[in-house]
Amino acid sequence: MSGQDIKSRPVYTPLARDPAGRAHLLIIDDAAPPAEAFAPGTSAADFPETWSVAAHSQALPAPLAGNGAQAFRSASHLIAMLRHRLARETMGLRLYAIGAEHFCWDVAACASAAGMGRDEFFLYAAGKPARRVVCVHCRTLNEGVSTNLITCTGCHARLFVRDHFSRLGNAFMGVQIDAEVPGETIEIEELSA
Amino acid sequence: MRDQPVLSLRVAAAEAIAPTLRRVSLRAADGARLPPAAAGAHITLSLPASGHARPLKNAYTLVSADLEHGYTLIVRRTDPTRGGSQHIHEALAVGDVLEASVPHNLFALHSQAKKVLMIGGGIGITPLLAFIAALRARGTRFELHQICNSADLRVFAALIGAQPGEAVHLHAGRSTFDAAVVLGAQPLGTHVYSCGPAALMDAIAAQAAALGWPASHVHREDFGAAGGEPFTLTIGTSGARITVAADQTMLEALEAAGIDAGSLCRGGACGVCALPVRAGELEHRDHYLSADERQSGAVVMPCVSRARGDSLVLDI
Repeated sequence: MSGQDIKSRPVYTPLARDPAGRAHLLIIDDAAPPAEAFAPGTSAADFPETWSVAAHSQALPAPLAGNGAQAFRSASHLIAMLRHRLARETMGLRLYAIGAEHFCWDVAACASAAGMGRDEFFLYAAGKPARRVVCVHCRTLNEGVSTNLITCTGCHARLFVRDHFSRLGNAFMGVQIDAEVPGETIEIEELSA
Repeated sequence: MRDQPVLSLRVAAAEAIAPTLRRVSLRAADGARLPPAAAGAHITLSLPASGHARPLKNAYTLVSADLEHGYTLIVRRTDPTRGGSQHIHEALAVGDVLEASVPHNLFALHSQAKKVLMIGGGIGITPLLAFIAALRARGTRFELHQICNSADLRVFAALIGAQPGEAVHLHAGRSTFDAAVVLGAQPLGTHVYSCGPAALMDAIAAQAAALGWPASHVHREDFGAAGGEPFTLTIGTSGARITVAADQTMLEALEAAGIDAGSLCRGGACGVCALPVRAGELEHRDHYLSADERQSGAVVMPCVSRARGDSLVLDI
């Protein structure tokens, strides 16, 4: 059951500044984005405004501040402030997100809710695989999944983690491993991405 | 056009709402229900034209499309007229039956828009009137800037019927409308729709791009500029020669010669009428072909585009 061939999975292109944009906000779920997240010739310094997550950050972020770098205490704090910011923005902004796949799609959900189109935000999923997996049986979200077989924290079913990602639900699909053939199981493997 | 269902419409009412504007209500000639049409849709009417053997086909936006009350158009008498608007203003009477295409929509409202900014020039108000009704029903925020000459101000204001709190701005001429200020103040998630003279719509598109608007949020309704220098069209396969007059489009000339080229929007937007070109320099006026296709010179949209020289050979 490994070697899944799911063609709908998002493909991420390294980021570069969209020359058509008027303002640019780079959002990172870590203090130091990996170099491969940027297109050749691009670095974090090319983005006039950067928001990142830094544990124990003492700064009080100002979501409407404009250019410069700001650190937020947690990803959830950053996302809440982003929602606030986008509700007050004018047309011409471009958003860029680097981080865990579920973080990138949380940013995407904020952007879509603010009315931004798919050509106004750009995502690059990076870092170790840490999937958000939705149990299709009880709908519990299981966070930080790095293997292809887990026990659902909600209903304790043994779930096979499909490479099937929902952009809208921002989660991978987990299906009971022996739903078709009772007792069937597979070797546990680390997910590669 | 070929293989397209044709509607038979009866004129239920026709009234002058201004010296150059006539409102026409159409219902199905057999009393049946008409196909529904969303805001922004148009129909193509076949209109008899004096001095032409075959009827002229003109696309008109539906100001409203109601299953009970039928389709409503507002037609401006253009000067010089190419025959279509002249017929509607001078000859069309209640009870007349016209052939029409089913409604097509190439100017539909984006369902995810947080706000809709509408910019109209002159008779370009027609789809915007349909939009306003739809947006009011949906409860979507909108802002309208209608530019017109001072003679039309009162009649346009009455057609819009602005309600308290609505952002409706009527401008007597371009001078009081500042595209940079209006486009620069729009919240994220705004879609802009412009309908009017090509120069106005070009200015809106250029200003929006300069302010960082993505192209997907910028919409325009094209009713192509038809006129230009006359030229001779040669049909590659038969060698037949057709003269395209100064006030005629290539598509109209083909139709007048009995060649059913197939068309839909007749405004350079949909791509249905595209024809292969064998020889001749082109003046592309459409908004459909890609930059590469334009460069290749191998395909042309005869509804709006013309020859740059005095002859063009089509590969049909």
